[in-house]
Amino acid sequence: MKSINEVLKEKKSGLYFGNRVLLPFTCHILKLNIENDLITDFSPSCKGVHVSENPDFMEIYFYDYKDLGDVITKYEAIKIIVVEKGKDIFNSDNYIKLALHPEENNQLRIEQLGENQIFIV
Amino acid sequence: MIASQDVFAIGNQELKDTLTTVTTPEESHSAAHLPSAFMVLPFIVLLAMIATGPLFYHHFWEKNYPIIAILLGLVTVFYYLYFLNDTHSLLHTAAEYLSFIALLSSLFVASGGILIRVDRKSTPWLNAGILLFGSVIANIIGTTGASMLLIRPFIKINKNRIKPYHIVFFIFLVSNIGGALTPIGDPPLFLGFLRGVEFFWVIQHVWYIWLPTILVVTAIFIFIDSRDVSSSETETKYTGKIEFKGMKNVLFLLIIVISVFIDPAVISWVPSLSPLPIGIREIIMFSMVVISYRSADEYILKANEFNFEPIREVAYLFVGIFATMIPALQLISHEANVLGDKLNPGIFYWATGVLSSFLDNAPTYLNFLSAEMGKFGMNVNIPAEVLRFEQLHPIYLSAISVAAVFFGAMTYIGNGPNFMVKSISERSGIKMPSFFGYMIKYSIPILIPIFTIVWLVFYFQKG
Repeated sequence: MKSINEVLKEKKSGLYFGNRVLLPFTCHILKLNIENDLITDFSPSCKGVHVSENPDFMEIYFYDYKDLGDVITKYEAIKIIVVEKGKDIFNSDNYIKLALHPEENNQLRIEQLGENQIFIV
Repeated sequence: MIASQDVFAIGNQELKDTLTTVTTPEESHSAAHLPSAFMVLPFIVLLAMIATGPLFYHHFWEKNYPIIAILLGLVTVFYYLYFLNDTHSLLHTAAEYLSFIALLSSLFVASGGILIRVDRKSTPWLNAGILLFGSVIANIIGTTGASMLLIRPFIKINKNRIKPYHIVFFIFLVSNIGGALTPIGDPPLFLGFLRGVEFFWVIQHVWYIWLPTILVVTAIFIFIDSRDVSSSETETKYTGKIEFKGMKNVLFLLIIVISVFIDPAVISWVPSLSPLPIGIREIIMFSMVVISYRSADEYILKANEFNFEPIREVAYLFVGIFATMIPALQLISHEANVLGDKLNPGIFYWATGVLSSFLDNAPTYLNFLSAEMGKFGMNVNIPAEVLRFEQLHPIYLSAISVAAVFFGAMTYIGNGPNFMVKSISERSGIKMPSFFGYMIKYSIPILIPIFTIVWLVFYFQKG
């Protein structure tokens, strides 16, 4: 299993199928933004989003959206703030802000948020 | 001064002549020519859905609002074509819609290609300076353009201590109250300009209300922000630099603003494109949409997370609003004429204000302009009468101009940029207050006392 930093360094893509996102790493998700939805509740009772953890990858289901490729336009992204598994979740230096861009052939480009893209913890 | 009283939405003289000769005040107030009261229903349904859709059933609304707006609009179009045989009202409205959407879309796209970076420490005075700057430029590039341009730098400057009140005061000043001085500032005033209100009339009659209001709201912001800043000192180092990227789009903005005046009725050598429902002005504006988007730097669009959805939404919704409000305008004008003396500037101020808080302020303004003119037996569809009205009864026009713009800040749905700013803030990770939270915590306790003072000083027992 690759760390988030390795995934970013190797420019490894994730996948998306309809409303399902697959990330090639595991992590703790602190905060997520898709369109106008700002999500901080990742408990099983949350109706809008479901996170499923597997040994080598993670899945996120967005129940309010049918196809993420249609929803997220060219200059938009799904934004998440995550912490690598095993790192101190209470230390903000460990927070990594990522942008997820749905692209052709179900590819999900993963990149660190640029300095101009704001996503406040 | 520019003779905007002769400026028609479409900028073509022939249609103007047709309209002025076809519709007279007497005719417009004759019950025989009035649409059925039931024809206001599509307008009420559409406004109710615009108010409730994004709040209570937003996924359904996001998917279906274009169909809903167009279908409701078509009900009115069908009624006017087949039952009233009135194509003039429809043509006039279509031309007005095209002018309206040309201005909004061009300002939106051009300002989306500009990036401002301010690497300075957040202080109450810097924040207040940005809010005041935004309030002023809102009159040049519109509340939509100013909000688009400044909200991200404003959030970024305050990223270490941002609170919902920062965004709320931004909505109060930059997205609403600031834009009360020119027809470019806020859509209601542009609709007034298209109907015949002189371009510089608003600044002449509203600046002395605008200035103290802006200063009082800013002073309240400084007071709140000063109490907050001391508890959130950080050790971040700042270069103090202010960067401005996308200068060519500033040129495009300038072209758009100048093009507002390019009309055959204002400049004699500007050709009329009759019978087309658009003029040179609209062609320039739509060209600016294409040119400014195509030539914008990719990284600026990415940094601004640019997408067409907000303006697409405005374009669809206003097709429905413009069409469905035709009967409402005619009926309100007639009713106001009947009620006559009972209506004074204070009543118009509060009625326009309360409705502008919950409905879109542009159609609200137009409905009350129609009502005020109806009270004096004048017709809002005749530019010469609009000019006469602004000269004879300035306090009435001032009351609805101020109320429509100021009260747009009362809720998220009062004015187009409010929701856009809320959306950008939430996409930036800021948890904004709910619809009622915004009102109960901020707009009612802060704005209502100020707006009441405005009423007492400028409109109470006047007219």
